[in-house]
Amino acid sequence: MSLEVINSPILALIQDKGRFSYSSIGVTSSGVMDEYAYNIANSLLGNELQSNIIEIAFSNIIFKASKDTKIAITGAKCEFFINDISLDTWQTYNIKAGDIIKIGKILSGSRVYLAVFKGFNIKKEFGSNSTTLKEKLGGLNGDKLKKGDILEFKSSNSFFNKRLKKEYIPSYEEVLNLRVVLSYQKDFFKQEEIDKFFSNTYTITNEFNRMGCKLHGEKIACDIEGIISEGISFGAIQIPKDGKPIILLKDRQTIGGYPKIASVLNIDCFKLSQCKPLQKVRFSPISLDEAQEKVKLFYSSFI
Amino acid sequence: MDFKVASVDSIIIYFGREISQEISLKVKKAYKSIMALKDESLIEIIPSYNSIFITYDIFTYDFVSLKQKIERSITFNSLRQDDEKIVSIDVYYGVEVGFDLEDISKKTSLSIEEIISLHSSKIYDVYAIGFLPGFAYLGNVDKKIAMPRLSSPRKKVPKGSLALADTQTAIYPQDSAGGWNIIGKTAMELFDKSLDTLSPLSGGNRVRFNPITKEEFLKQGGIL
Repeated sequence: MSLEVINSPILALIQDKGRFSYSSIGVTSSGVMDEYAYNIANSLLGNELQSNIIEIAFSNIIFKASKDTKIAITGAKCEFFINDISLDTWQTYNIKAGDIIKIGKILSGSRVYLAVFKGFNIKKEFGSNSTTLKEKLGGLNGDKLKKGDILEFKSSNSFFNKRLKKEYIPSYEEVLNLRVVLSYQKDFFKQEEIDKFFSNTYTITNEFNRMGCKLHGEKIACDIEGIISEGISFGAIQIPKDGKPIILLKDRQTIGGYPKIASVLNIDCFKLSQCKPLQKVRFSPISLDEAQEKVKLFYSSFI
Repeated sequence: MDFKVASVDSIIIYFGREISQEISLKVKKAYKSIMALKDESLIEIIPSYNSIFITYDIFTYDFVSLKQKIERSITFNSLRQDDEKIVSIDVYYGVEVGFDLEDISKKTSLSIEEIISLHSSKIYDVYAIGFLPGFAYLGNVDKKIAMPRLSSPRKKVPKGSLALADTQTAIYPQDSAGGWNIIGKTAMELFDKSLDTLSPLSGGNRVRFNPITKEEFLKQGGIL
């Protein structure tokens, strides 16, 4: 009872919510980059929200099913086929033994999510299935998915399919507004530098991966070169010596010594995860209270 | 203790503004107290030189209630290090694996034997773990052998290399680029999936380096 990978995908990783208990010894939290697409996929299938999923970047992966099941596809807009029939995403499909599932080109956005009914049967490693390549932890043997990999699952005999209402399907094209909570380290930046940060538009560079996102644009000057290394939050915006902001994401280092001007709301980092190099972002401030309300609203909608 | 907002769902607590043994000890005591809460709403807890970073469940706490909870839980009484377990790490300090030993010897006018003796006669505190999983920042190294980082980092420092930068010392748990001075090598695994704790080191340890011969190093599986 499995899906078999029958081509060589560029970057497809088993992920879940993340691995949190080992950050004190330097193990990154990892986890899905876009929790919106992840939670929707699991919700559509009636799965537990912590279930594992396949995160597909740079497109092109083909599976063959050995048994009936149900899958959900969410995230980036992509070419999606079951047995060469082109289909829409953000919904579930019944799969029969022998079916070929293909995700082709990504058309907009950058990460596609494929979940299976009840999740894949993969033993967790140190509390999570999340794959971190640099630590060789999680997934199947700590590696990305390769041709010939077999992903086991429990068979499904539920026939009802679900789709997400159109108005909830995100579009990934516009200039992204990232809401930020200003940092306790903002005092290391002069007011005119903070004004610059909020009034300019920044461009996403090629240095954009699961660890972080480097931006190009108006340089931000900091009064100090570094701080004593300390724990770093998801979404923290570091200002290194070159003045170009770096937003830290799921596979970030656990500690670091660059000053931080602000931190992006996690729910906006999920949208950032679907952006591409050359896309534009801007920043706007939000109070901690308002930010927590927004984040609670996000997570409450999946319970 | 100085509590600051780090992000929508995380805080950072400062115990001082510089790197010192005293502040590090406070961090360790506080970390122990926080861990003893076994509170599942504290999702990530990362101690470092002078701070503890915490990601929390915002459905359970807000900034104020979390601050109160943690303030009440922390005790600094008996600020002693005696109860910390000392981990002994066997090291081969040889020029084949300690690429910068000869250079340090020239710069300090100390013999290689003197450098080894100064480095291995101290018991070091773990100030922080990070950069790579299992990479522990240990201090403080005797000022006589303190060395600035290399002006251009090596593209590949071999796994197990014992390194020195300023008054800190560390072992590279895996092959990595790195700018620290290399003075020896261990066969011990510092990031090991067969351990429940993933690493033999934690913030609550102290570390001693035990010089061994080339023969012993090779017998332990060391690679030159």
